[in-house]
Amino acid sequence: MNGMATILKKELARIFKDKKMVFSVFLLPVLVMVGIMVLIGNLVDNMTDDIESHTPVVYVQNQPDTFRTFLEAGDYSYDIYSITSDAERNEAEDKILDGTADLLIEFPDHFDDLITGYQIGDTVPQIKTYYNPSEDYSYEAYGVISGQTLEVYRQMLLSSRVGDLDQIAVFTVNSDNEDMVIQDDDKASGKTLGMMLPYFITILLFAGAMGIGTDMVAGEKERGTMASLLMTPIKRSSIALGKVFALMTLSGLSSIISVVAMVLCMPLMASSMGADGSSLSLSLNLSQILMMGALLLAIAFLYSTIIALISVFAKTTKEASSYVMPVYMLVLVIGLMTMYQSGSPADNMYFIPIYNTALALKGIFSQDVTMLQFAASLGVTVAVSAVLIGVIVKAFESEKVMSA
Amino acid sequence: MIEIHNLTKIYKLNKKQMQESKTKNPMKTAVDDLSLTADYGEIYGLLGPNGAGKTTTLRCLATLIKPTKGEIYVGGHEVQKNSEAVRQSIGFLTSDINLDPQFSVDYMFDFFGRLHKVSEEQLTNRKEVLFEYFGIEDFAHKPIKELSTGMKQKAAIAVSLVHNPDIVVFDEPTNGLDIVTARDVTDYLKKLRDEGKLVIISTHIMSEAEKLCDRIGLVIDGKKIAEGTLRELLAATGTDNLEDAFFEFYKSRKGEV
Repeated sequence: MNGMATILKKELARIFKDKKMVFSVFLLPVLVMVGIMVLIGNLVDNMTDDIESHTPVVYVQNQPDTFRTFLEAGDYSYDIYSITSDAERNEAEDKILDGTADLLIEFPDHFDDLITGYQIGDTVPQIKTYYNPSEDYSYEAYGVISGQTLEVYRQMLLSSRVGDLDQIAVFTVNSDNEDMVIQDDDKASGKTLGMMLPYFITILLFAGAMGIGTDMVAGEKERGTMASLLMTPIKRSSIALGKVFALMTLSGLSSIISVVAMVLCMPLMASSMGADGSSLSLSLNLSQILMMGALLLAIAFLYSTIIALISVFAKTTKEASSYVMPVYMLVLVIGLMTMYQSGSPADNMYFIPIYNTALALKGIFSQDVTMLQFAASLGVTVAVSAVLIGVIVKAFESEKVMSA
Repeated sequence: MIEIHNLTKIYKLNKKQMQESKTKNPMKTAVDDLSLTADYGEIYGLLGPNGAGKTTTLRCLATLIKPTKGEIYVGGHEVQKNSEAVRQSIGFLTSDINLDPQFSVDYMFDFFGRLHKVSEEQLTNRKEVLFEYFGIEDFAHKPIKELSTGMKQKAAIAVSLVHNPDIVVFDEPTNGLDIVTARDVTDYLKKLRDEGKLVIISTHIMSEAEKLCDRIGLVIDGKKIAEGTLRELLAATGTDNLEDAFFEFYKSRKGEV
């Protein structure tokens, strides 16, 4: 036990005595994560502002007088060009294709006459719009003009035909109902966070342990320092456990720092993306915190054993990293699976290692997990870790593995 | 006391190792039916060319690898059955064992002292004695990665002796050292012998074995081909130096083969 504690302390000292390591293990991931999210948010924001401030260039074929008057009367800032020939039409299409024009509106011949002379049974006139969805300005112009401007124009013409529009509205839906949402705000906020946090927790835990773990085991073999440990009178199991617990402590600490930073920065990141940051605040009760803590410890233990096990079979850190990478990809995929899962998963899903922890964490945030599901996730994770520890100890005792 | 009875170590080579060794036989005998005994108060030297099986023998003795056949007793403990007691009773040093380069000698000394269950008081005393003898105080607090080869070797020797073992097993202890540091090391080994400890070393340096070892075992191709004091080996071959004696034994061994 003393030997295990001595090794654990040395492995922790390796990180904490080195300022560069402290920065790269604990602070850099947080800075990178928050920085990237804020940067992406700002870039998206800038892009949106740019598109919104752009004046759409619109070509109109067979432009009716009512439309011209409608645009002049309204507060629409479009650059409108009338098309009067086939050549101009082709030119307009070319401009939309190369991005210098945004939209083409084609009215039928004598549109105003068709509207005013409409009789029941006549064909309803059709306005056609053409755009280029590959171009952001064109896509936006299509959305605004086809979806909104032409709808207002349609209502204006309809109003002139029937007088009071309310006569044909029949009913409205939620036109002045401000209280239509009935939900528990904590649960809703937990659901949003519960969608993202288990994913980030699982990947951050693994990522945090990956670099340190491969160096702690395969790195020691590569540097020839493992043999000096193996020459001490302590049990091989103490060496293995000392390293795994050190790795677990470091990756757990790294992920807690990352998660806390993420929760704290969530409103900032959300608002930089244009969302309502206040809706992402997190409030957990004591039992949620305890359940989450237990699961985080268990998954940190499992990841540490997986990484240590892979590393013990590698000759070098480089080799260990290449072996660990596919497992990391698997963890990423499993995290994504829980992120986009809807409905309540079946109880037997909580017996699948790694996946069960992400599910249970999600359930804790959204207050949907049952005690059985939580216990199954915790039990399976700890049991698998214990089995892996046994395999690691065997590997440490193997001459073939350790002198490879 | 060290007793090695009929030690054989056979390695299974992988494809890459077979290609490198230019052999089609996947089994390589590194040590072949080797026996020896060494007692407290003597320096026993395993002398032989590179690849003779010296290091493999010492690694078996130090519990780092398991014998394929044979038995080894170190201080009365059988190495496979009681490996932890064996490791507690020996100080082992080999060229491919290093100290963590990120830490200082001082930290490593304390770290290995604790793993060897040395009390804090004894640790302080041992540090004082060994650091003074090898002149380590000057660089004790520098990271090991910043030290010269000689300094690292001195540090490794000091750390391997932290628990004041009765049996010292050093594999090529002066390999790569300058003449002054090499002399410090050999003088210290003599001092340990004079204190009644058992020292067993491997070397391929004839002059070192001549001056340092009380008894010498000549090893070629994994087999011990001769053993005795320097005088006995010279008398047996009618030569006047160890190098000539070694080649006489070597020629007769190759003639047998």
